[in-house]
Amino acid sequence: MTWKRVCSAGDIEPGRLAPFVVDGITVIVANLGDDGFSVFPPSCPHMEEPLDQSGICAGLILTCSKHLHQWNMRTGEPTGPEENDRELLRYESRVEGGELLARIDGELVYEHEDDEDDDFEW
Amino acid sequence: MCQGVALGDCEVLVPSRIDGVSDTAREPQYLTGDLSEIRPLTRDVDTFSIDLDRPVTFDSGQFVVLAVPGLNGYRAYSMVNGAAETSRLDFVVKRTPGGGFSEWLGVDRAGTTLDVFGPLGRATWRPEEEKDLVCIAGGSGIAGMMSIVSHALSSGHFERHRGDVFFGVRTREDVFFADELARLVDAAGGGLSVTVAYSEESSTVRDPDVPGGIRAAHGFVHLVAGERMAGAWGNRTAFVAGPPPMVDGALRMLIAEARLPASDIRYDKFT
Repeated sequence: MTWKRVCSAGDIEPGRLAPFVVDGITVIVANLGDDGFSVFPPSCPHMEEPLDQSGICAGLILTCSKHLHQWNMRTGEPTGPEENDRELLRYESRVEGGELLARIDGELVYEHEDDEDDDFEW
Repeated sequence: MCQGVALGDCEVLVPSRIDGVSDTAREPQYLTGDLSEIRPLTRDVDTFSIDLDRPVTFDSGQFVVLAVPGLNGYRAYSMVNGAAETSRLDFVVKRTPGGGFSEWLGVDRAGTTLDVFGPLGRATWRPEEEKDLVCIAGGSGIAGMMSIVSHALSSGHFERHRGDVFFGVRTREDVFFADELARLVDAAGGGLSVTVAYSEESSTVRDPDVPGGIRAAHGFVHLVAGERMAGAWGNRTAFVAGPPPMVDGALRMLIAEARLPASDIRYDKFT
């Protein structure tokens, strides 16, 4: 159980997200304003879109612009489209002395099965 | 639009359902059609039509994919016409250097028979939807918006609801469908506004080159839409089409600033 420094709390403006690499593991940090921070893996739980480019923050809600799937960044719960039943995985995080720390013992990864019924997109 | 080349035997995964198709008349099908009415609209945008071998029914906002003899792969183009059963589909295409179809297309191609598959796409509108509309389009992305707005007008939607169209082009020379848009504004009797946003012009005064009833603005179309629509986002369905950076900017504006629910935002990503 290791708390590791991710960035300074002032590195990201409220309502924004940005990628950081911590001991070789890439994470996305979202500044939720009064609700603190959320730290999560860099790929979309739905179809692995890179969230540093496709992720849009609005309050507590993360939207991936590829298919407009949405998650609550505090709880990880999917919201919005019904077909989205994947949770947003998160690293536990806290702010201490102006620094954002996250408990990163290993990389959180999504299992994307090859035979799942993915959306068919042109 | 994903396109690939198989280098060997491959297994093809066919989805078990077709999203958004509520009746068999709208299922995509293989068709053929002859090119007609090919003409330039601006320095780099052409219009063309396809006369199909049999009528199709589609929802406004949908597209088909076209295969041209001698060119690899299918290309996706949104219909300009309002939804109805029809044997003629109208399109616009931006001429791009190295763009296989747009470079191939010329007046002398009229009569060429193409393979057509469709209709496709989920960024559609149906008359029973009781919401105001906002359309944000860049360049040839206006095609599907013309279909939606024409259909909304013909079904009396603007008697009960508003429609606001934002059409982004670079300069005054790049505007097309101005007369058609002006006619729609006029026919909608106050229920429809059209704003042309010039990304490379500095003047924000009403533009004499744009027919009456159409507003002109300076800036990127999604930013213009965000400014002009401030405070008027309630009960809206938003349609977005255009170059990928514009689509991305519009989605960010609609979600982060306008706070529209994802279920009220419709677009088809072609990249």
